[in-house]
Amino acid sequence: MINAKRIAVLSFLLVLASSSLVIAQVGYSQRAKEIGTHLKCMCRGCDMSAGLCAHPGGAFSGPCDTAKGMLKEIDQHLAKGENQQQIIDAFVAEYGPTVYVEPPKKGFGLVAWLMPVFYSIVGFAIVIFVVRKWAVRPASSVPAGHAPAAPSDALARARAQADRDTED
Amino acid sequence: MDVFGSFTLLLAFVCAVYAFVGGIAAIKTRHPLLVKSTRQAGIATCVLIFIATFAVEYLLFSDNFSMGYVVSHSNRDLSTFYKVAALWAGQEGSLLFWSFLLSVYIISVLIVYRNKNGELMPYVGVILAGVQIFFLTLNNFVENPFKTLSIVNASGFLEPFTRQDGNGLNPLLQYPEMVIHPPNLYSGYTGFTIPFAFALAALLARYPGEKWIHLTRKWTMVAWCFQSLGILLGAHWAYAVLGWGGYWGWDPVENASLLPWLTGTAFLHSVMMQEKRGMMKVWNVWLVFCTFLLCILGTFLTRSGVVSSVHAFANSHIGPWFVGFLAVILFVCFVAYVKNRDYLKSENMLDSMISRESSFLFNNLLFLIACIAVLSGTLFPVFSEWFTNNRISVGAPFFNKIMIPIGLAILFLTGVGPLLAWRKTSVDSLKRNFGWPVIVGLIGAVAAFFLGYRDGASLLCLFLCAFVFWTIVEEFYRGAKVIKARTGMSLMMAAHELSMRNTRRYGGYVVHFGMVLVFIGLAGAAFNIEAQKAMNIGDSMKLGPYTLVLQSADTKAEKNYTAQRMIVEVLKDNKQLMLLYPEKRQFQGTEQAAGTMVAIYSTLRDDLYVVYAGMDPEANVPVIHAFLNPLVKWIWLGGVWVVMGTLLALMPNRRVALGVATVPETSTSAVAQPLTPGVTLREGHD
Repeated sequence: MINAKRIAVLSFLLVLASSSLVIAQVGYSQRAKEIGTHLKCMCRGCDMSAGLCAHPGGAFSGPCDTAKGMLKEIDQHLAKGENQQQIIDAFVAEYGPTVYVEPPKKGFGLVAWLMPVFYSIVGFAIVIFVVRKWAVRPASSVPAGHAPAAPSDALARARAQADRDTED
Repeated sequence: MDVFGSFTLLLAFVCAVYAFVGGIAAIKTRHPLLVKSTRQAGIATCVLIFIATFAVEYLLFSDNFSMGYVVSHSNRDLSTFYKVAALWAGQEGSLLFWSFLLSVYIISVLIVYRNKNGELMPYVGVILAGVQIFFLTLNNFVENPFKTLSIVNASGFLEPFTRQDGNGLNPLLQYPEMVIHPPNLYSGYTGFTIPFAFALAALLARYPGEKWIHLTRKWTMVAWCFQSLGILLGAHWAYAVLGWGGYWGWDPVENASLLPWLTGTAFLHSVMMQEKRGMMKVWNVWLVFCTFLLCILGTFLTRSGVVSSVHAFANSHIGPWFVGFLAVILFVCFVAYVKNRDYLKSENMLDSMISRESSFLFNNLLFLIACIAVLSGTLFPVFSEWFTNNRISVGAPFFNKIMIPIGLAILFLTGVGPLLAWRKTSVDSLKRNFGWPVIVGLIGAVAAFFLGYRDGASLLCLFLCAFVFWTIVEEFYRGAKVIKARTGMSLMMAAHELSMRNTRRYGGYVVHFGMVLVFIGLAGAAFNIEAQKAMNIGDSMKLGPYTLVLQSADTKAEKNYTAQRMIVEVLKDNKQLMLLYPEKRQFQGTEQAAGTMVAIYSTLRDDLYVVYAGMDPEANVPVIHAFLNPLVKWIWLGGVWVVMGTLLALMPNRRVALGVATVPETSTSAVAQPLTPGVTLREGHD
């Protein structure tokens, strides 16, 4: 066990020493990383963006090979003078809309963006309507769409029964 | 032990069926012996589930590698600590653990209320048994943890087979927090079963709407507290282990845990409308129904594979069972409501748009919008596939854009709500109550601006945090001042006395304070910076005010893994600060064999978060990935305050000694009017 441990330490340090003169490069530009945050890493294992892929559980906690490949591909597009939108479009053409990290603001993707706006407006309208309605009507009236209240004696009996049942 | 465990689980199922069927008969016949025997069957079900759970733990601890579950989630070298956690590492074990926690709640309810609520408890028992039957069906017939390994022998028959060792526990789960995060979260999920059962039982038993609220208030708070803690622990685990520099990725499983928390939080607020004003009884019943439905939906999302997730149980075949169960619950709730809704008669009446009541309505609306936004975003990829045959991904940027405005609006109401009086707030009272909080908010925002936090949403968030903080301070100060004047106590002691006299109200403010701290932490996320560099020994990299120097590296062989450790020296302003030791661990025998141990230097200002990413595959040198994440520590501190506030709110009110007057409603005293006649007022509620 001790030998195995010693060998492991030595071999690891050997690897470090042998590469001491290497000036490592990450292999992609900062701009590619920024654009990569708009594209999903397509390794299907991490569910992160290509620009922020840390690939939890992988042997390398940085961009996984797929993400790294995508970032290098972005650099190739940048070298051709393409802008961010053109690059994203190129990836969508290659992988389909699943490569977006957020739904596109066009086609069916627009529905995702409009839904929260729609139900926020509807929700606020309903609350304002309810507040106004409750503010003007007498306390004893029945809410809209509500069934007629239980006969008051039945409700009173039920309340008395519940009081007896729930007495601490 | 596997046969014993399997039999126990089957017996638990039989007892649960008896508690359910016998319970219905007991409701119909009202025969006292039948009522008693079904209650005892309910207790027996819980005890049998406890025994089955301990049987799985025994099999894990005894390294019984003839069991499929033990082989998949443990190995001989796994430490004792993680052998306990292996129970919830896989689908079968975690579903049994779910039944276990549910049984803890159920047995508590059945014992605590054994001589109380005679008319209601048979209904409660039947509903709880119904929920248990569903999970026991999964435990027994779908995902049984007691399955043994077998192989086909030369004669073509199956024969038992025992492996020498197991596959081990997923490395991502081998972290102390992973031992406490799932139990907390599951305790939240399962805990919401209790208010659901009481709400539905009260409706079925034709109880007027206010009764079940009184009975389940504390159960709901306990479940909510566990859910909050579970979510925060999960976030902290993701932060400290996954090595991606973040704590919340809007993953479907994270979202699933947030959904019932949002409706549960809305319920904890709207319940006050019912208690104070007899309003919103129908709404509250449906909020509790929805919270429970979202718990089941969240479990379905987590375990069915319907949405892609980095979490463990993503692909299995139990989805249809959950869909069926959801449909049954929805149907029962709907029928119960339609038949007995007249017993939820509310005294809905408002005096003004600017009142505590309307602030609660908007509070509930915002929580509901947040819930629907998270739910629709989580399910949108599925919808898009149905409608267009293309799966459109919805990732963190979408959720951040949608949820930041909603979160800020909720934070705004957190400050505004307590400043508004019940029924009606006058303009003078508004000016008086809002003046100082707005000034303090502005001071906070200006200070943040000069400290370098120059981002619109973050500045607004920090303004609101300071604003809400000051409203809370004023609430405590005003109340404490009155007690101080009457008793001669010091202000601090008076504030303590005040809190103990109305634990729920002031516990609530402490929770609000905790949420303020959480929001301060969230505001920092806009200023995260990072750097990644392949470094040789002696190389350095700069990140914000820090300089990181790779001093050396070593390897340490542990029982269950071998760790490659980087020794990184941290300098600030060219002065040595500390050494950090980020690790990469290589686990033996696991499918997902590598794990990270992040090294974090955490201060209130920022977290220096250093990850050893591994050897660069091309350059063959270690890669250090460092993040500077401002204000993250405030989130975890906020979590502590949220838990403390909830614990305070759960405590009974201290009785006021005779001769000492009760502290008046402070900020809400502007337009003090008598409450609606006939509304039950409980001591200490606000």
